[in-house]
Amino acid sequence: MENIRIKAQNLDVFYGEKQAIFSVNLDIAQNKVTALIGPSGCGKSTFLRCINRMNDTIEGCTIRGKILLDGHDIYDPRVDVVLLREKIGMVFQKPNPFPKSIYDNVSYGPKIHGLTKNKSELDKIVETSLQRAGLWNEVKDRLNEPGTSLSGGQQQRLCIARAIAVNPEVILMDEPCSALDPIATAIIEELIDSLKHNYSIVIVTHSMQQAARVSDYTAFFHLGKIIEFGETGQIFTNPKHKQTQDYITGRFG
Amino acid sequence: MKNHNTNPFILSSASPSHRGIIKRKWAERRFMVYGYSSIIVSILFLLFLFYTIFSQGFSAFLQTKILVEVKLGKYFVSEAGPMTVAEKKEVLKNLNYRIMVSESLKNTFPNAKSRMEIMQIYSLVSRNSYLKVKEIVEKRLRTEKSLKKTFIQNVRVWLPASTVIDMAYKGKIPEDSTKISTAQRGYIKRLQEEGKIAKFFNRGFFTLGDSREPESAGILGSVMGSIFTIIICMLTSLPLGLAAAIYLQEFAPKSRLKSIVELAINNLAAVPSIVFGLLGLALFITFFGLPRSSALVGGFTLAILVLPVIIVTSRNALASVPSTIRSAAIGLGASKMQVVFHHVLPLSLPGIMTGSILSVARALGETAPLLMIGMVAFIADIPSKLTDPATALPVQIYIWSDLPEMGFQEKTSAAIIILLLFLVTANSIAIYLRKKFEKKW
Repeated sequence: MENIRIKAQNLDVFYGEKQAIFSVNLDIAQNKVTALIGPSGCGKSTFLRCINRMNDTIEGCTIRGKILLDGHDIYDPRVDVVLLREKIGMVFQKPNPFPKSIYDNVSYGPKIHGLTKNKSELDKIVETSLQRAGLWNEVKDRLNEPGTSLSGGQQQRLCIARAIAVNPEVILMDEPCSALDPIATAIIEELIDSLKHNYSIVIVTHSMQQAARVSDYTAFFHLGKIIEFGETGQIFTNPKHKQTQDYITGRFG
Repeated sequence: MKNHNTNPFILSSASPSHRGIIKRKWAERRFMVYGYSSIIVSILFLLFLFYTIFSQGFSAFLQTKILVEVKLGKYFVSEAGPMTVAEKKEVLKNLNYRIMVSESLKNTFPNAKSRMEIMQIYSLVSRNSYLKVKEIVEKRLRTEKSLKKTFIQNVRVWLPASTVIDMAYKGKIPEDSTKISTAQRGYIKRLQEEGKIAKFFNRGFFTLGDSREPESAGILGSVMGSIFTIIICMLTSLPLGLAAAIYLQEFAPKSRLKSIVELAINNLAAVPSIVFGLLGLALFITFFGLPRSSALVGGFTLAILVLPVIIVTSRNALASVPSTIRSAAIGLGASKMQVVFHHVLPLSLPGIMTGSILSVARALGETAPLLMIGMVAFIADIPSKLTDPATALPVQIYIWSDLPEMGFQEKTSAAIIILLLFLVTANSIAIYLRKKFEKKW
């Protein structure tokens, strides 16, 4: 595997007493899409949320092991989560635009990180972010309308635009299409495909077809462990483990 | 044979579970009846309340007045003829307005001879009505620079009637009552025939402070007291309550201390208000030595009273902001502080404002704690400073309701009407703010 951005080493995650992830090792490659699949409660979302330390906000959540971003431990106590999350953006399961205007949604990240000096620079970022998210043509005449007035698929693309506006290097997506219809899903999948030229993407999905369509690598999680990890083609056509085979063919899960 | 014409979905005795379905339908219908009847009963209670208050209190907005002629000229004529300016000034200093009123009344009823009759004539007008004459004379003094020509003609003045006459003229005293003598009834009749008695809008009710005489008692003193008290209450309870709510809801880590504080706040919200009055008395007056009966202490005491309610409602409003919004902001790298102040607080502000206004409205109607800190005293002066002795509107209602004079009955109801108006206004503002700033997502 070429050019690894993120490396999880012997990662254990506990929610209070309960262990959610057992000694996971996973490499995430640059400018590739890595899909995390597995049945509900297998720890794939937990793992995803470890990558930008969103689990910090959950009380009683403790982590052992390491996650390295470009060789630097992100769980080093000296790490500033604000700087980390600037580098690692996130898109959530349910489209969650702020109840503000479309413009304010996209410009919020650059504003709090002080990425721009003046209004015209900010305008530029908003425009390019919306363009990259494939939403610009649909909303360019109504940037002042509330983001919540958009359709579900548009809202999710707005959230993607909002995430890429802070110019991250990695984008985490937690089942980004689970609340969308097939047409909106197809648009998002195309978007993911085009985004991987600029970003490294990790996507959690329940849809086997989606994983097969969009990802380059796939990790199969089960009961908090990675059962199998490899190139997507190999996992779906020639899985090495029986459990993987059973899951992708729909025999359990 | 099956009858294909019968619709199987129409309930009939042939339906397989028709007994159960009928039972269920009746249960539903009974429930509806319970609901309707309880609503009707509460509406009736409300209507009855409004009817009694309005029918009793409305007349307090009118004041009966009696027209008398004050022969001002008489006092400014000496044996030598018209007075000089200097002499007039001297007279003005020593003018006895009470006697002027008495003499004017006597002139109105020249037939009255006996002492009894004259006493009854005097009691037609309010004991404070000499103030009205004084007011007129002083006004003349101010508006006319030269005293040469003035104070020669007589003036006709509408004097406020005494409370018994006021009540009788408003028809509030039954015919067979002994509260008013037949002679007084006769006087009223005569005044009526001569067009010298009439009802006017009672401006004094809105511009005067409390008084021992019902006809010159007004609510301005207590309204000002209430306004001062509420301002102090809001200025202290809102920032404190909001800060406490934000800290407890958004920042405080889970700990034993936090749960104890939470428990204490929730229980304080249910403590009877008089207990807070006792606390205010002990803390602000005894310990800090703040002035008794003052709006300042009243405001602080009410602030303690509403603080737990504001904290609880504000926390609920903060908690109702969906976690997805928080996640979105955290995911973008917003700090805890930014999440709260950029997103959570603005979104929960309508709820916080509604809760705060409603609890302040509750404080506005609160009486018991104010009794404990001495805001129940008779205070005739309108408070102009926070430390002046003051009463509040609900306390004024309480004081008036306790007084034996007839005139205070309608004043009590009228003051209740004013208080209700304040409360309705506060609640309307709360509803308006909620509707206006509510955001949907």
